[in-house]
Amino acid sequence: MSTPRPTLPFTALVGQESMKQALVLNAINPAIGGVLIRGEKGTAKSTAVRALARLLPDLEVVADCRYGCPPDQPEVQCADCRERVAAGEELPRARRQMRVVELPINASEDRVVGTIDIEAAIKRGERRFEPGVLAEANRNILYVDEVNLLDDHLVDVLLDAAAMGVNLVEREGISMWHPSRFILVGTMNPEEGELRPQLLDRFGLCVDVRGLRSAEERVTILELDQRVQRGERWEESGEAECRQAEVIARAQDLLPLVDIPAAMRQFISLICLDAGALGHRADIVVSRTARTLCAAREAAVVVAGGLGELERQRPADALQVTPQDVIRAAELALAHRRRDATAPSEQSGEGIADSARERLRQMESEAQGSGAEVSSEQVEASPAGSGGDRGEGSAMQSPERAEAQEPAPGEAETAFGGDTFQVRRLQLPRDRRTRRTAGKRNLTRSGDKRGRYVRSTQVERTTDLAFDATLRAAAPHQRTRRSEEALAAGGPALLLERQDLRQKVRQRKTGTLIVFVVDASASMDAEQRMQATKGAVLSLLRDAYVRRDKVALVVFSGRTARVVLRPTSSVDLAEDRLQRLTVGGTTPLTHGLVAGLKLIRTERLRDPTVYPLMVLISDGRGNISLFGEEPIVEAQRIAAQIKTENVRSLVIDSARDYTQHSQLPRIGGRGAQPLFGGYAFNACLDLSGRLGGKYFGLYDLSQGAILQSVQQELRAG
Amino acid sequence: MKLNAGPARTIFPFTALVGQESMKQSLVLNAINPAIGGVLIRGEKGTAKSTAVRALARLLPELEVVADCRYGCPPDQPEVQCADCRARVAAGEELPRTRRRMRVVELPINASEDRVVGTIDIEAAIKQGERRFEPGVLAEANRNILYVDEVNLLDDHLVDVLLDAAAMGVNVVEREGISVWHPSRFILVGTMNPEEGELRPQLLDRFGLCVDVRGLRSVDERVEIVARRELFEEDPDAFVVSYEESEQAEAERIAGAIVSLPGVEVDRQVLVAIAALGIELDVDGHRADLVTRKAAQALTAYEGRPRVGLKEVELVAPTVLAHRVKPSAHGGQRTVNIGEILRNAVGAD
Repeated sequence: MSTPRPTLPFTALVGQESMKQALVLNAINPAIGGVLIRGEKGTAKSTAVRALARLLPDLEVVADCRYGCPPDQPEVQCADCRERVAAGEELPRARRQMRVVELPINASEDRVVGTIDIEAAIKRGERRFEPGVLAEANRNILYVDEVNLLDDHLVDVLLDAAAMGVNLVEREGISMWHPSRFILVGTMNPEEGELRPQLLDRFGLCVDVRGLRSAEERVTILELDQRVQRGERWEESGEAECRQAEVIARAQDLLPLVDIPAAMRQFISLICLDAGALGHRADIVVSRTARTLCAAREAAVVVAGGLGELERQRPADALQVTPQDVIRAAELALAHRRRDATAPSEQSGEGIADSARERLRQMESEAQGSGAEVSSEQVEASPAGSGGDRGEGSAMQSPERAEAQEPAPGEAETAFGGDTFQVRRLQLPRDRRTRRTAGKRNLTRSGDKRGRYVRSTQVERTTDLAFDATLRAAAPHQRTRRSEEALAAGGPALLLERQDLRQKVRQRKTGTLIVFVVDASASMDAEQRMQATKGAVLSLLRDAYVRRDKVALVVFSGRTARVVLRPTSSVDLAEDRLQRLTVGGTTPLTHGLVAGLKLIRTERLRDPTVYPLMVLISDGRGNISLFGEEPIVEAQRIAAQIKTENVRSLVIDSARDYTQHSQLPRIGGRGAQPLFGGYAFNACLDLSGRLGGKYFGLYDLSQGAILQSVQQELRAG
Repeated sequence: MKLNAGPARTIFPFTALVGQESMKQSLVLNAINPAIGGVLIRGEKGTAKSTAVRALARLLPELEVVADCRYGCPPDQPEVQCADCRARVAAGEELPRTRRRMRVVELPINASEDRVVGTIDIEAAIKQGERRFEPGVLAEANRNILYVDEVNLLDDHLVDVLLDAAAMGVNVVEREGISVWHPSRFILVGTMNPEEGELRPQLLDRFGLCVDVRGLRSVDERVEIVARRELFEEDPDAFVVSYEESEQAEAERIAGAIVSLPGVEVDRQVLVAIAALGIELDVDGHRADLVTRKAAQALTAYEGRPRVGLKEVELVAPTVLAHRVKPSAHGGQRTVNIGEILRNAVGAD
């Protein structure tokens, strides 16, 4: 639905050139496949997308088609238009501007996909399809603000439509399809959680925006905002807007004329391989983007010169894709497709551009070495050349190479300090767990009316009536029922029967909460235990991130325990906090356990269904008292308390490392004795017993044993 | 100007609240300029957080609204009107006008999503077989204050909905067979007790200002609080009457500030200082800069001065930055001298 609202003109936005460029490129060439804008709060992400609406080009549409089919491209028309053409009808034409259609994140499935028209069904007994957001989005921009917060079931629907360009509807007695080819534009703040990789890949381009750091620009923004507040009109940027709109329109005309030299095609493939992009969508998107960049560049020249299409004395190479186009396109298209895209994307754009330039130099020298011709028009911009045969060779190689570069599943590398070792990635059984919880939601939890209403179902006893679905189910029968009841005049318009009733299926987002309780006392300094601990937590974090669990971090040292990280699903934040951990002081183990327990209690208040798991990483030698008792006795008591409160736990003993397993490699290599090796009593093992949880040594991390244990923990729940 | 009687329960007068100046100031600044974007009040139990918000209702200015519009659209600003009002204007109709006071609309944390967003009107559907939209809390909140007590305990999906509406100023409903949009521009006021959990960063950033309140430590003030409370409980109506005059004066002062606000000037130098502050403290995005400017301007209007000075910026900056400055590298609190940063920036310019 397009909601008219006051917006800043697109061209008045200060800075954020990448974001603006990516949006404009999509407006010129929808085949690029949309853009994802990632960035911190308050960086004009949404403002830019909404402002783009005014610059969008006109489309030729079938005047009375509700999907806005193109009159001249039968292969993407809806069934209706095809029939009319087949029947020899001349389709009525009209022009309208491309629109920005918004998908609110709390949309319900029936409104997105489309559903039965209730009024038509009740009043006239007709079974008619009422189009949803996906129909409206056809040939337009589909904009999802906070796309990372979109419910999973809507993401599925979106992916389906995006993949096929068609929306298939099979629901409520309606069976039909219609075209749904849209440019997907999403904005998100990565702090709020990541996007599913599959959805991420659907976005052609991805740009990261940050707040501007120059005082000059910030002042300009402040002044701009002041003018908005005063309600000033934007006469002077009206001209800039017109020019920008014209560039877009002109570039669309030029696009088919743009040529990609063979050398550039090869260059694109190589860059994509270098970036480790999986699949071939990357290559396709980079090449489309490069062509669009080229067209936009030329269009800007034409518009700036105030020239007509024909008056421009166009140099022969004006419509040839240059290496600069390719590098820029790669920056925009590969940031989110790199193999390590899950890592925090600090240097996303620059890294890609640098390696691309490196690759360019290499190609260039190879080309000269083999004596191949260097196309002269490219030397000017930045020397590049190729031999056609070599290009083909590497293109054929590419699938194999791409596969070879894929990381072995289930493993992630964690580096600490100078030493690196493989920490088994904790692959938790996601599907199974989701189903289990979903089952819970459906059946045993139907009394709990909290959560988001996602869809409806038919159950024996309806306790949480989904009125809209009930209405839709009842609608087609109204005419027949009414005639039966014709005698009872003046009754309600809607006659419900038991079989019409539908139950709401609700979904809660929260799942597992993993609370890390980490010992940062001086004893953790030995044998690089802290480094290994960080590695361990990191691998658990990565896993939590994939499955959207929440994590929290409690650290104890000195005389207190601190909650370093409140429950969050942001792994970036957690990693950041983790990296900054410092070691020193005594070991207030009890404080740590109590802080962890408190945190879990609070979280349970907020969401009684949350499933907490406490992971204690320590040597178990508490030496600071909280209640004035013997520290170890205190810790034992709290451990028992944690168990009675039904919190699952896991103890990782940092003191039990390589000395007891001398056949295993050491982490540090300094050969120090374990700090408490002499104690007869294993404090951690004892604690884990009282917690009712599993016990591991830090070294187990590289052995994959923790993997199984966490799996079991989560299954058992 | 006459104060409205309010709901059945008598509300403690705003001007009778002792201390907590920064909380009161933040609320007043929002009443003067809703574009500041609301306020988050963090604090321990029993520090008059909720009382202050409810009390503010009586000081709020009057709004000009379309008399029969269920979203209370402004008759003279077509760009923020609902679709209905726009259509009526386009059809050449003269919109009927009336004035009503800005309200405090409460969002209970156990609210269901359909009541917040709005849903299909069941009665109309059953009786007439018509599909009609029944507005929810977000509709009611349009041009009013949306108050969420214990905002940190709000369900995640409601937070999402709130974020969406707050970001766009529009509530887009695509659910339960309904497809409508309506304006939903509200001043978001939340209270929370940090002991019970944190707020998501994105929602945190939506609050223009943030104040931390603590119980007062001065014996005199504590005694005064108890005394006033006792008087109030003995005879609420008489107590309210005894503050009638100060309430009246405060309401008039706010109304006056609203009128003078557009005329308050902000020198470029002050803007430079604001930008420098944002850069120096490394806050995410630009919202902090924009809010600082608006809040300083509102404060200047409230003080009856014609031009924003560094002093006003210095006064509002802590409330703008309290929830936006990231903790220092070791998780501890940072101590910054805002005044010094501001003066340096101006000196250097």
